[in-house]
Amino acid sequence: MIASRKAALRVGLLVLAAVLLQVSVVAQINILGGSADLIPLVVAAIALYGGSVAGAAAGFATGILLDLALGMSLGGSSLVLTGVGYGVGRFAELRDVSHGLLPIALAAAASAGYDLAYGAITFMLDLEAAVSALVFRDILVGMLLNAVLALPFFAFVRRVLRAVLRADHVARRRRGRPREAGPIGLRGLEV
Amino acid sequence: MYPDRKTIRRRRAVLAAFVLASVALLTVWFGEPMGGVLHTIQRGAQEILSPIQTGASRALKPVRDTVAWTGDTIRAKGENKRLRDEVGHLRRDLATAQTTGRDAEQLAGFAAIARRETFPSGTEPVTARLIARSPTVWWSSVQINKGSGDGIRIDQPVITGDGLAGKVTSTTPGTATVRLITDERSSVSAQVMPEGADGIVRPKVGNPNDLLLDYVEKGSKIKQGQTVVTSGFSASRGLESIFPRGIPVGRVKKVDRSELDIYQTLHIQPFAELKRMDFVQVLTAARSGARAEVTSP
Repeated sequence: MIASRKAALRVGLLVLAAVLLQVSVVAQINILGGSADLIPLVVAAIALYGGSVAGAAAGFATGILLDLALGMSLGGSSLVLTGVGYGVGRFAELRDVSHGLLPIALAAAASAGYDLAYGAITFMLDLEAAVSALVFRDILVGMLLNAVLALPFFAFVRRVLRAVLRADHVARRRRGRPREAGPIGLRGLEV
Repeated sequence: MYPDRKTIRRRRAVLAAFVLASVALLTVWFGEPMGGVLHTIQRGAQEILSPIQTGASRALKPVRDTVAWTGDTIRAKGENKRLRDEVGHLRRDLATAQTTGRDAEQLAGFAAIARRETFPSGTEPVTARLIARSPTVWWSSVQINKGSGDGIRIDQPVITGDGLAGKVTSTTPGTATVRLITDERSSVSAQVMPEGADGIVRPKVGNPNDLLLDYVEKGSKIKQGQTVVTSGFSASRGLESIFPRGIPVGRVKKVDRSELDIYQTLHIQPFAELKRMDFVQVLTAARSGARAEVTSP
């Protein structure tokens, strides 16, 4: 991703919209006993298209905004989401991410990672109550719902960020390998 | 193509900076009091964001409702089945409770009627449950679950908790048939209280809520609402009445006075709810020293 004000503005607006949408709407929609979570989705999507640095920055910013908006332990979400953004970004930098269904797996992994890591941090910091095993059901449901949302959501994020991407490696790799051709003298011949 | 060392260092530095910043924030946030800097910033941010959140929540309520509707529909299917089962259980419980209450009410009626001053003494009531009812519209007879084996004999009077119901017309060791006072062949000698005007109670066929008290002398001034009880005299052949004196029959609801007739006819609303009764008592002949008491059928 090109480090510019324009890029920062787009990422910032995406993050702000995702946080507001999550706390105002999505979190209140209960499906199968759980709800979707746009927070790890937006961080993972930015990291996939922007890389590890952009992912870590987006994760940190999203976490801070979330903690501020909800009055949670300041720094907890940002710590976890920094890790999520960096991890997804590194994965995108090191692996072939051209497969069309990859967002589904990334969304599920990011959701599970975010929920478990945040749970672990909460447990270490200030959790005093007993924990029900049903929390794992909620994590699973959230993971599934995020996986369902992944394709359209990632496509939307990609569309927003396309103008500020240094190179859209996902699209580039999707174009496929160039046809092999023989020596110049033999081009066009069925050899 | 691999990134150069500078890029790698920069990337790691960024990660380390964000992680350190997060840890520092956490440390300070937990370490400071509620009025600390970070808490104050957090409260300020919430104040700024809350109107935006409220606006977003209101603006996107239709979206939320639409999506929630889908979940609700899925959940409602399961809930519908559960509630149907629950309604079935509750209906059964309610029916049981109502039946029990109704039975208790009717049995209490027997005790109440037996305490009346006018109630005939020297009888031993046998409480019985209705096991069959005439299917015709005439409401002429019912069958009860007590018979000759319980001391029930033909022509013994049958009452409900409210008043006279009929008389026994046939018995088996375990059952008895009761001809109701609404049967077309029924006739009961009765009198209007307190004047004591005598007459014969006859059914008005087809209307179990309207009995006729015939042969009442015209000179008797009967008013609506007066009580009619059995008089203890026979309606035919001058024989002793099978109905002992004092069993309540009904209440006068209308008086027919025809100029041409010698007698006047009274319309009586029977006390006994013949359509709804579940228990009756057969007034059997009392054994020596026996007292009238209510026993469960």
